[in-house]
Amino acid sequence: MSDNKQPSDRRDFLLKLGAGAGVAAIGVQAAASLRSLVPNVSYDAPTTVKLGPPSDFPDGLKFLPDERVLVFRDGNTFHAISAVCTHLGCTVRAEALPNPQTTDAAGTTLRLTHRFLCPCHGSQYKGDGTNVSGPAPKPLAWFRLMLAPDDGQLVIDLADEVGRDFRLTLG
Amino acid sequence: MTLPSFRRTKPEAPGVHAERLWSFRPQSDREAGDAVVSNFMLHWFPAKISKASMAWNYSFWLGTVSGALFFLTILSGLPLLFLYVPSVERAYQSVKDIEFVITFGSWIRAVHRISAHLMVIVVALHLIRVFVTGAYKNGVGRGQQRELNWVIGVVMFLVTLFLSFTGYLLPWDQLAFWAVTVGTNIASSIPAIGPAVRELMIGGRNIEQATLIRFYVLHVVFLPAGLGVLFAYHMWRVRKDGGLARSDAASVVEQPRTTDAVPTKTYTLLGVARGTAPTVTTRTLEAANTTVNAIPDLTRRAAIAILGTIAIVSIMSVFIASPLEEPANALITPNPAKAPWYFLWLQEIVTDTTIRLGSFTLNGAFVGGVILPGVLIGLLTFWPWIDRSPHLAAGVWLPRERRRQNLVFLVLILGVLALTFVGMAMRGPYWHLYWPWEAWPEIPGRI
Repeated sequence: MSDNKQPSDRRDFLLKLGAGAGVAAIGVQAAASLRSLVPNVSYDAPTTVKLGPPSDFPDGLKFLPDERVLVFRDGNTFHAISAVCTHLGCTVRAEALPNPQTTDAAGTTLRLTHRFLCPCHGSQYKGDGTNVSGPAPKPLAWFRLMLAPDDGQLVIDLADEVGRDFRLTLG
Repeated sequence: MTLPSFRRTKPEAPGVHAERLWSFRPQSDREAGDAVVSNFMLHWFPAKISKASMAWNYSFWLGTVSGALFFLTILSGLPLLFLYVPSVERAYQSVKDIEFVITFGSWIRAVHRISAHLMVIVVALHLIRVFVTGAYKNGVGRGQQRELNWVIGVVMFLVTLFLSFTGYLLPWDQLAFWAVTVGTNIASSIPAIGPAVRELMIGGRNIEQATLIRFYVLHVVFLPAGLGVLFAYHMWRVRKDGGLARSDAASVVEQPRTTDAVPTKTYTLLGVARGTAPTVTTRTLEAANTTVNAIPDLTRRAAIAILGTIAIVSIMSVFIASPLEEPANALITPNPAKAPWYFLWLQEIVTDTTIRLGSFTLNGAFVGGVILPGVLIGLLTFWPWIDRSPHLAAGVWLPRERRRQNLVFLVLILGVLALTFVGMAMRGPYWHLYWPWEAWPEIPGRI
């Protein structure tokens, strides 16, 4: 009986081995193909960007379209707010307020000169980035500003979100 | 009149088919049956088909028209493959050349665009027709798996939408860029894995060359190939499930009824037996007066539907120009920025579904863009197993037994249509509501 069974066992084993090898080969090929689509190197723009000398920034608001960021200046202090709507990533537009207001932003006083409106789904933000109406789920991000040690230009780090009490004050 | 191809050169014998392709005008049942058996579409067409299932006002031939539109998009897409350059520097210019420089370019692009838009509409109508007639239900035949074919149909509908969406980006104009920005950001609203999913979709953090080539390859290789395979299987299943559900509805007479003796029966078509049929009782489906030969009756109607579709699209493409906006500019979001029309109902929903519970906020993009469509597609997919109506309700327009589910389904469809209309005609700058006849206010330029 075992003599009869042996060849069929071997055939069965070889059949399974062959089929398994085929499935494994296709599986590995598919996995490798999918993995190749996940980029290892990013050719996106760098997140730390020089914005120009502070003197280029007038009092009030300057929009930088390449970085999609709004830079505010009030005398010697600077802060930067993202112009990317937190709902679906459209670029918000700034609208000047007829009467500037003062608000409390995380314990610091902030003068609001604009509000922000999203053209895609109508989200509205206050001048400090707080979402007030529409579908936006959270406030606009604030980014860290620095001075470049080499040439004194204003530098923004788009990967470094900061609190709303952040200010860069020039000496 | 006998066409030259019908001339027999060799003696006939069972199983030997004199024709190379098929007989378009068979002169006997035998020849009609042979035409099916001997042609390469053997698995698509039965020898006989019930008259009821061929009625124009049952299926409206929407599946055939969808297939014809798919064929047209491929046909018009082939010359575009030679003309379009999938690079961010040259894509817009190459589409502009197709539109304004190349002979017949604008017409070919219009055929491609119009058949793609019509395909979304007709496939959706086909899906609605199948739902409303309960045609995903099995009837009296053995081994029917119409639910499976329904699921394949739902997948084909989604692939059709995705095909259209991937094609939307290719002109690399403002319309394309921002529609895809909004569309892919919906993916990134999925908690935890969202940003990674978006990065995989667009090949980086921003919509750039990697995005264009991904969408291009999906649009011209993977999705059409996938849809083609599904289409062939979908058609084959219709055949395996005993034809349209309508023919089942016609056959659910439980008692055999006596009919006149017929000179041949179906199996004699295959040369098994000859002469008068041995039985003179039959179920309605099999009665000679309820069925016709698939060739030429079915093929003739299919040809009318396909040629009619080609004619209508060709003529429409002469008169309807394809839009091409300014080149894509990541720095300026158009105001308002709208998704493709078939996603506008979703854009309306993502606008209105941000949920705030105290300090907890659920992004409307996730609720309206992921959860809600996911639930709807899930329900749609598994509805054949949820629907408990009797098999008598299969293949019948708006049957009493399925009144409630049809009503809910149609209300949902009306809701989608209403939201689409609001998105198309009533949304102005900053997504504010305006009447269609109302002028939009002047929006001052940026900052």
